[in-house]
Amino acid sequence: MNNIKAFVYKYRIIAILLLLVVLCVLPFVVKKALYVRYACNILMFTTLAGSLNVINGYSGQFNLGQAGFFAIGAYTCAILSTKFAIDFWLLLPIAGLFAAFVGLIVALPTLKLNGIYLAVVTLGASEIIRVIAQTWQPVTGGSLGIKNIPYPWMFGLDTFRPKYYYFIFLIIAILFLVITRRVLKSRVGRAWISIREDQIAARSLGVETSFYKSLNFMYGAFWAGVVGAAYAPFVNYIEASQFTLDAGFNVLAMVVIGGQGTLIGPIVGSVIVTILTETLRFLESWRYVIYAIIIIMMMWVRPQGIAGASQSVLAGGIIKRKPQREGLKA
Amino acid sequence: MEYVLNQLVNGICQGSIYALMAIGYSVIVGVVGMVTFTYGEIMMIGAFGAYYSFMYFGNNLALAIVLAFCSSFIIGILVYKICYEKFFNAPRHISLLCTIGFSMLMRNLAQIVFGPELKPVINIINNETYSLNLGSISLDFKLLQIVVMALVILFAVSLTLFFNRTRWGVALRAVSQNKQAAYLMGINVRSTAMLGNSLGCAFGGIAGILLSIYYYAVSSTMWGGFSMKAFSASVLGGLVDIRLSALGGLCMGIIENLGITISSATFRDVFAFGFLILILIIRPQGFAAKRGNRV
Repeated sequence: MNNIKAFVYKYRIIAILLLLVVLCVLPFVVKKALYVRYACNILMFTTLAGSLNVINGYSGQFNLGQAGFFAIGAYTCAILSTKFAIDFWLLLPIAGLFAAFVGLIVALPTLKLNGIYLAVVTLGASEIIRVIAQTWQPVTGGSLGIKNIPYPWMFGLDTFRPKYYYFIFLIIAILFLVITRRVLKSRVGRAWISIREDQIAARSLGVETSFYKSLNFMYGAFWAGVVGAAYAPFVNYIEASQFTLDAGFNVLAMVVIGGQGTLIGPIVGSVIVTILTETLRFLESWRYVIYAIIIIMMMWVRPQGIAGASQSVLAGGIIKRKPQREGLKA
Repeated sequence: MEYVLNQLVNGICQGSIYALMAIGYSVIVGVVGMVTFTYGEIMMIGAFGAYYSFMYFGNNLALAIVLAFCSSFIIGILVYKICYEKFFNAPRHISLLCTIGFSMLMRNLAQIVFGPELKPVINIINNETYSLNLGSISLDFKLLQIVVMALVILFAVSLTLFFNRTRWGVALRAVSQNKQAAYLMGINVRSTAMLGNSLGCAFGGIAGILLSIYYYAVSSTMWGGFSMKAFSASVLGGLVDIRLSALGGLCMGIIENLGITISSATFRDVFAFGFLILILIIRPQGFAAKRGNRV
């Protein structure tokens, strides 16, 4: 086992580069546009589920309303690009910052309280954002939605084809993974993980918990907003019914099934759930029943998810330490 | 003025149903010690139990209430077995995710079994209106509203009696206060927790049938918002205190109905949610004296 780990560690740069090349060539090899579209969905949900994983998996907070922040990003992009013709690449950070700001407002009242309050407030916020999007006719188009969102400019490629739009999602996903990895290795990431493991202990060691928790929430909301902004031109038409609570639970299912507390977990989850969604389409509503059963089974069998962090509080129970002081035993 | 007063009456009536919801919710949270997300679906089961009772046995409200009570009680046992029993010593988020999974399961199964459309629940209670003249103002009471309020008061009083006068009720209160001490006193904590969970669920079921009578309709998709309102109302009561939760539910109903008089009815949920945020900012412990940090 250790040999395999050492082998993987030794060649990981080559492996990552190889994977990158494969991902870049993929849309040109796969002929059917439908499959490229699935690949786009997988990359989009990788980032979205990853952003939820930053909140749920790394700092142990409980966000159930990621669809709301996603909706804010999508609507920001759609409104600003149709009414003011602002460039797409500028809109990505704007949408992200706006979602992060809303995230701060949502998280602020619950910072000093226990996680369950945040869960219900995010659930409510997601629903309220949807209601506002549905009723605020002059700005969001009400139940008619917003049509004809302009496609982004990307080196003169016609991005209305999924083949080329794929690269926008790929760039966002890679940026997300690289930046998040750097953040998690830093002081901030360690503070988040310490809050997840034991909030009181973290606090007694000088971690300013409410600051880091709000930072964490804003970071997660930021990336959800960015992905939302990239989603709006991709589907070219958005309306409020795309951002229901069920859409949020879908993302939650990816994180729970794939694994919390690791970067690879949400990727696994988004691949599994997207493939299941597309292959089980003939089952119609029964497939949500199947997701629900998978979530419950996962909690019973492996609470941290398929590729989740095993050595953490997410796995249930207390962390098992390796017996280090064997020499001291009589 | 007259319109506002009539809306106040509506608010009190709806608030009393929310009070019943909040009572059930705080019983669950108090006794089990964990928060549930399946509450809306439990109310749905109660409402559909009553709907089928009305369909097959005629407009017999008492029978419908018994059926709703039993069906949601049984679902409560199921919820306990699936979501709580194994996870008493595990971190909180595991049972929480389990209840979310269970609620997804119930909601989607209900859409398949009962169908997603709105089903009418009409003519259960005669559509009569009584007017009360106070000088120049006349207040309208529907018979429906009076029956609903009377039922809520009946159930709340009987629950209070159950908690204070019976052996099981005392055991439930003991488990709610301190599980370990209750265990040392010879109370079977697990079965008591199961009873408390099912009892709370049964109250949710009754609230579900009252809501469906009040709105003249029942569907499998309308329960998410009510679940959130039950939570907000019991937050207002400090999450575990039954009487204060009932008061919180009443406040929620009044604020909602006064809120929609100054705007449109689509913003009903917005008002309920804004009120929750306001409480959490100003006074997170609600009406209770201690901080609501226990759960």
